[in-house]
Amino acid sequence: MKKRSIALLLTAAMTASMLMGCGSSDTSTDTTVTQETASDTAVAADAPAESAAPAGDVDMSGTTITFWHAMGGVNGEALDYLVNKFNTENEYGITVDSQYQGEYDDSINKLKSAQLGNMGADLVQIYDIGTRFMIDSGWIVPMQDLIDADGYDMSAIEPNIAAYYTVDSKLYSMPFNSSTPILYYNKDMFDKAGIAEVPSNLEEINKVAGDLTSKGGAGEAISLGIYGWFFEQFTCKQGANYVDNGNGREAAATAVEFDSNGSALKTLTAWKALAESGAAPNVGRGGDSGLADFSAGKSAMTLGSTASLKQILEEVNGKFEVGTAYFPSVSADDKGGVSIGGASLWAIDNQDDVKKAATWQFVKFLVSAESQAYWNAQTGYFPVTTDAHNEQVFKDNIAKYPQFQTAIDQLHDSAPEYAGALLSVFPEARQTVETQIENMVNGQQTPEEAVKNMADGINASITDYNLVNE
Amino acid sequence: MNGKKIKVEPYFYLIPSFLVFGAFLFYPFFKTIYLSLYKTNKMGQAKLFVGVENYTSLLTSKSFYNSLIVTLVFVAIVVAGSMLLGLVTAVLCNKAFPGIRFFSTAFALPMAIASSSAAMIFKIMLHPSIGIINKIFHLDINWISDPRYALICVAILTAWLNSGINFLYFSAGLSNIDDTIYERASVDGASHIQQFFRLTLPGIAPIMFYTLVVDIIQAFQSFGQVKILTQGGPGESTNLIVYSIYRDAFFNYRFGSAAAQSVILFLIIMALTLIMFRVEKKGVKY
Repeated sequence: MKKRSIALLLTAAMTASMLMGCGSSDTSTDTTVTQETASDTAVAADAPAESAAPAGDVDMSGTTITFWHAMGGVNGEALDYLVNKFNTENEYGITVDSQYQGEYDDSINKLKSAQLGNMGADLVQIYDIGTRFMIDSGWIVPMQDLIDADGYDMSAIEPNIAAYYTVDSKLYSMPFNSSTPILYYNKDMFDKAGIAEVPSNLEEINKVAGDLTSKGGAGEAISLGIYGWFFEQFTCKQGANYVDNGNGREAAATAVEFDSNGSALKTLTAWKALAESGAAPNVGRGGDSGLADFSAGKSAMTLGSTASLKQILEEVNGKFEVGTAYFPSVSADDKGGVSIGGASLWAIDNQDDVKKAATWQFVKFLVSAESQAYWNAQTGYFPVTTDAHNEQVFKDNIAKYPQFQTAIDQLHDSAPEYAGALLSVFPEARQTVETQIENMVNGQQTPEEAVKNMADGINASITDYNLVNE
Repeated sequence: MNGKKIKVEPYFYLIPSFLVFGAFLFYPFFKTIYLSLYKTNKMGQAKLFVGVENYTSLLTSKSFYNSLIVTLVFVAIVVAGSMLLGLVTAVLCNKAFPGIRFFSTAFALPMAIASSSAAMIFKIMLHPSIGIINKIFHLDINWISDPRYALICVAILTAWLNSGINFLYFSAGLSNIDDTIYERASVDGASHIQQFFRLTLPGIAPIMFYTLVVDIIQAFQSFGQVKILTQGGPGESTNLIVYSIYRDAFFNYRFGSAAAQSVILFLIIMALTLIMFRVEKKGVKY
């Protein structure tokens, strides 16, 4: 008995000492952070005038800024090239330490953890659906502040792209890699089936599906991946709101609106019809789940991001001619547009004007015409600045991939009011949408039930989120 | 108690191990229980005390019961599959024959393959239009997007991955059985099948029990293959409880609910382990 109580006591003591150990190590990290800031302030003090504005008169030599991004593979290499170019060529003596943080989801989650310890980056690339979260986070400097302080001319930035990241007429983050979804189609199959006009909505796709399989030789009319982004785009194409409070743009959303305005039911009914007629069998979940069938010559059409164009052309490798068309609407009378996807650059507020100024210089470099033309040619994302259209690199690229013109036209045909929704729990909402569509396509529920389950699930998440994050 | 002086010294030897356990096991464990009583904000900090609400909402959620059932089915397939595969391969390699080194390496190899990379390879192999499995068998099955097959595919992959280590354990167990008892049995006229059931199986029973316990725990914790192959889908047909915890915690940033699920998972595994040790005392003879 006594033995046991002593053992317990010792355990308790050790647990306590362990906790204290943790505590002291925390303090030590804090000190290093303070030291760093101190040395930074020293640099700042060297500057002739210590102005709060990140203008060109701040001495930034020797400043290192940390840039977190989520670009792997070919895109990552292209980004590394740009970072290296900036590091060797910039005249301010700024060094950018670029760090790959994994996929978009990983990247935003790491930022959340890092901000807890206040040891994050100066510039972070965050995906479109993280926008509302970032605005509400209180960790950031709105890009508009940096733009205004520098008097930067925004007129060249694509208005339909900037609209997505603009809330209360303030641009919160700088668009960097933007894409829209488009319809890819197999021209050879369309020719064989004798279809002259590419379908512009889901109902038309269902109508031509029979001809494509019987005459065109397609295994399936369209390989339609179950992807939350597509669902959002169908909502935008109807000109309808996804959530309330002006699509989450006037204030944080409190509930979804796609159930009450009927847009979701319309989308899902058409989707279900495609699945049931066999025109769009279940090819799995995710943005690129439909691509393999298309590249293999099995499906006559697929939906995919513009950023996939290069990959598709490489995989098809001349086996057939690849055509591109606008992302389909649900029915012929829809009057909306497409919204953009991709990611943007967020400046993190580290209470350090020198770093802020350096970050702005780097952002300016990344969205310059030359960088964007290179970026577009390497990755297939839009050039976010129209000035890039004058660059030779861009002209060569569009001559080589004329299909890309579709994407640019589609973007210009859209309008800022179809910029899409902002929602703090978007990543989760997307999962909910995909799960319910999947259940519907697999015949476990009707479109009505799917819409109800989506709305209930997402509304519960929103309520929960708003409850603990005021 | 019995008049002996209590020695303090031995407890000091425990300090290093307790420090490590404390930092990496006890502290996270108690923190998990603490978090399971709260709702957390977007940073994952405990914000609102809700008592047992996280548990009650789990226990009334269809999705959670679905996760439990899916997990149990998955564990059953994985454990049965990996034990059977490990046992068969180990028995096959118990006899010396030319090329045995090649075969034993091949059978043990799965334990050296990371679950994620294996899942990547399976994802390509199982692809409905370009995958090799449909090509070879002239099938047109959408393996990982069809709720009827997805769970089985993930389970078979996991069973194969876990079979490598089982092969190793069973081989060790088999080589511990004295050859002379087989000789005596054949002199007495026992067939090979009789020998297998009367001599081999009882001989490796202790090691089989050990692998069973480890396999069950391991199967409960499978994660990488689900994340890569199915992300819990289609629908929620492969939403294993560990994956559901991951999604709630690191995707939805609802640590409270995730912590509550972890605690329930812990209770299930603990109960299973206790039951198995009970059974072992009765059933397994050393």
